[in-house]
Amino acid sequence: MTAAPELSEARLAQAETIDALSTYQFGWSDSDAAGTTAKRGLDEDVVRGISHLKNEPEWMLERRLKALKLFERQPLPTWGADLSEIDFDNIKYFVRSTEQKVTSWEDLPDDIKYTYDRIGIPEAEKQQMIAGVSAQYESEVVYNSIREDLAQQGVVFLDTDSGLKEYPDLFEEYFGSVIPAGDNKFSALNTAVWSGGSFVYVPKGVHVKIPLQAYFRINTENMGQFERTLIIVDEDAYVHYVEGCTAPVYRSDSLHSAVVEIIVKKGARCRYTTIQNWSTNVYNLVTKRTKAEEGATMEWVDGNIGAKVTMKYPSVWMMGEHAKGSVLSVAFAGKGQHQDTGSKMLHLAPHTSSEIISKSISREGGRSSYRGLVQVNPGAHHSRSTVKCDALLVDTKSRSDTYPYVDIREDDVTMGHEATVSKSSDDQLYYLMSGGLTEEEAMAMIVRGFIEPIAKELPMEYALELNRLIEMQMEGAVG
Amino acid sequence: MTTTQILNPTAGPTLGGPNGLAAHSHVGGRTVRTSGVASHLHPVASSDVADHPVPTSKSELWKFAPLRRLRGLHADAEFTVGALTATWDAIDGVDVRVVSGAAGRALKGASDYLPTDRVTARLMEYNPDTLLIDVPADSTITEPVVVTIDGADASIAEAAHVLIRLGDHATATVVLKEQGSATVAHLVEILAGDGANLNMATIADWAADTVQLAHHHISVGRDAKVKHSLLTFGGDVVRTAVDVDYRGPGGDLEMLGLYFADAGQYLEHRIFIDHTPPNCRSEVLYKGALQGDHARTAWVGDVLIRAMAEGTDSYEMNRNLLLTDGARADSVPNLEIETGEIIKAAHASATGRYDDDHLFYLQSRGITPEMAKRLVVRGFFHEVLNKVGISSVIDHISDTVERELAISGM
Repeated sequence: MTAAPELSEARLAQAETIDALSTYQFGWSDSDAAGTTAKRGLDEDVVRGISHLKNEPEWMLERRLKALKLFERQPLPTWGADLSEIDFDNIKYFVRSTEQKVTSWEDLPDDIKYTYDRIGIPEAEKQQMIAGVSAQYESEVVYNSIREDLAQQGVVFLDTDSGLKEYPDLFEEYFGSVIPAGDNKFSALNTAVWSGGSFVYVPKGVHVKIPLQAYFRINTENMGQFERTLIIVDEDAYVHYVEGCTAPVYRSDSLHSAVVEIIVKKGARCRYTTIQNWSTNVYNLVTKRTKAEEGATMEWVDGNIGAKVTMKYPSVWMMGEHAKGSVLSVAFAGKGQHQDTGSKMLHLAPHTSSEIISKSISREGGRSSYRGLVQVNPGAHHSRSTVKCDALLVDTKSRSDTYPYVDIREDDVTMGHEATVSKSSDDQLYYLMSGGLTEEEAMAMIVRGFIEPIAKELPMEYALELNRLIEMQMEGAVG
Repeated sequence: MTTTQILNPTAGPTLGGPNGLAAHSHVGGRTVRTSGVASHLHPVASSDVADHPVPTSKSELWKFAPLRRLRGLHADAEFTVGALTATWDAIDGVDVRVVSGAAGRALKGASDYLPTDRVTARLMEYNPDTLLIDVPADSTITEPVVVTIDGADASIAEAAHVLIRLGDHATATVVLKEQGSATVAHLVEILAGDGANLNMATIADWAADTVQLAHHHISVGRDAKVKHSLLTFGGDVVRTAVDVDYRGPGGDLEMLGLYFADAGQYLEHRIFIDHTPPNCRSEVLYKGALQGDHARTAWVGDVLIRAMAEGTDSYEMNRNLLLTDGARADSVPNLEIETGEIIKAAHASATGRYDDDHLFYLQSRGITPEMAKRLVVRGFFHEVLNKVGISSVIDHISDTVERELAISGM
């Protein structure tokens, strides 16, 4: 493609714009008091130790031990990103940052408070934007509050460890019911050593009007974070759960392997939003899946900006008639990053529908891959599915892949898949600049426009954060 | 003059015989080539059978295929002296002949092809006769070259090699008709010289007991234009992989496919287009219809645009029409792109049943539901057929589609 000479500079400015989106903003770390004492490597003793420290019921210990065996037996996946550099013996599987959980901000240790101040948790809470805050710091939830009116409605929003203690029956019924330990190597690992995460129960007919938010941070070098989240949305209820991740930069590779299980009952709706911004030495290998019953709706909004390697395919199993699943996904792959993301939609009942919209930007040698599966099983007649993938490549050394799988075992279904890979067009730039915008402004606008369908689905403060990142870089570029 | 010749009338020469593969450098009798692209889709190409383990249902490139129905072709079924025949009418200016022995071995891999799976590695080692269709440089052949390959015995495993070679700036139309009963591993090499213009169609209309594992390799010369149509109807299991390389900039490839799977049939098409030189074009359109219990098709496309392939223009489309209950269509259009300096890279895949609006519209004009469905299917395939551009092939396919539709009583 030929470009006018003055526009080749614009391409450079565009690279900076993209750069701004994924510049890691939270690259500090606190003194590491809790982490250095934790043991590296994984064996039965570590698993028993975790379970003992948490004072868990016997059945949970048995699950953990069984999962450990499955983990040891299963091979690493041969597809997707390169995982060969993960050294499972050099990872700390459990770190406890404070012995006691605290219920108010003032009671948090100073260094933890400082870290959170930098992300802005207290402000967010003051603004009443957050219905309940569950901040995970070094494997365990240390700060947890929930608004009283929600509690009065019967909404449960706890860390997963407390959930297990306070609601053992619900827990035993649903834990591992959506993602069994043996589902894949990393779900087995998580089941063996899980710690922290959120437990949410929304009773029948209750609409939680404001998003439930949890902030996660990894703060110990080489420490795996294995949070386990279980969300149950009872009939005709609604909840929007928001998970956001930021992590300090460390020298060697760290592992994050979460499991998120969601059950959306008849007629209910759940939205789960993630903005993942791990530092670029983290392996982010996450299993997320929902079972959606009759008439239920599940929406995943998934942003992947950080991490060295991400493998994440939020899934919806549409179990009942007229169930719906949707995934909105945006990924940024910068230098040294591989974002292998997508979605799995399993149509298991008639009249179910699914939609996947995936957008990715690759730059500076980064690689983004869309990898998805749409499966229509026998009996799921009149199902519909559409998949749309757009990728923006901004230089000649980055890579974008699309690996969509469509597996149809039923007639009377309608499927569509589309993908386009493009380079930001010089025509678009020219048009915007002819309207009086500078090159930098025009570039920022093109990038914002590209991610707009995702950004507009984000809670306000997240969308603001995303836009602010673009603007900050633009200011520098113009100056 | 019509010529009919038995392919592989005698056993192939013993291994280690004269080998004239000029395009490859051999080290210890073994040539290996890696794609250089990290992905589950790219096995290492190697001339050594030992480098290709027997595929299992977990192998990425074989996971859709019913391995138990392949009669061991994918594994170690022994190739034997054949019953396949090739028949053609002589056309002035085109050299069509069967080449065996050492001379035939020299033609294996003439398109710079190295096997990426066990079956073709075994085929090349076995060295079956080569059916050579040679069009000299600078010649223009207006009449289609039609070669019919006929199987007579599905109880033996056979191997077949076809080489279609167009010299620089040559123009020709080639039709391969495949029919009869066979259990056959098939390698078709297509070498289009610089500036050549080839229109080639393969009609795989085998008898119901045929198992075919075919591999087409297309090497597109600088500024050459290749149209490759693959029309698959008959057979029990027919799996065709098509690999495309460009040898220079300006190559232009159009691929068309049409398939119709009936009850119990399995038809698979796998396409891999490797864009390495800049400013080449690829356009792929495959359409399939399925009817009857356990009619199955799989379509897997992969377009790789390497970092140096700036100015690439690529589009892939697969559409499947499910006509009855119990049929299954898998469709996987992959894209792997290593540069942003391209004109376009896009793909689309759609699978569905009749569009109710179309049927309703036709019925509102007084057309019976059966006829309306028939019209929709005809219209669906029309887009592909119109582009094939070989009138005898279009007629043949139209008749075959009508025959297929009669099966389901339409």
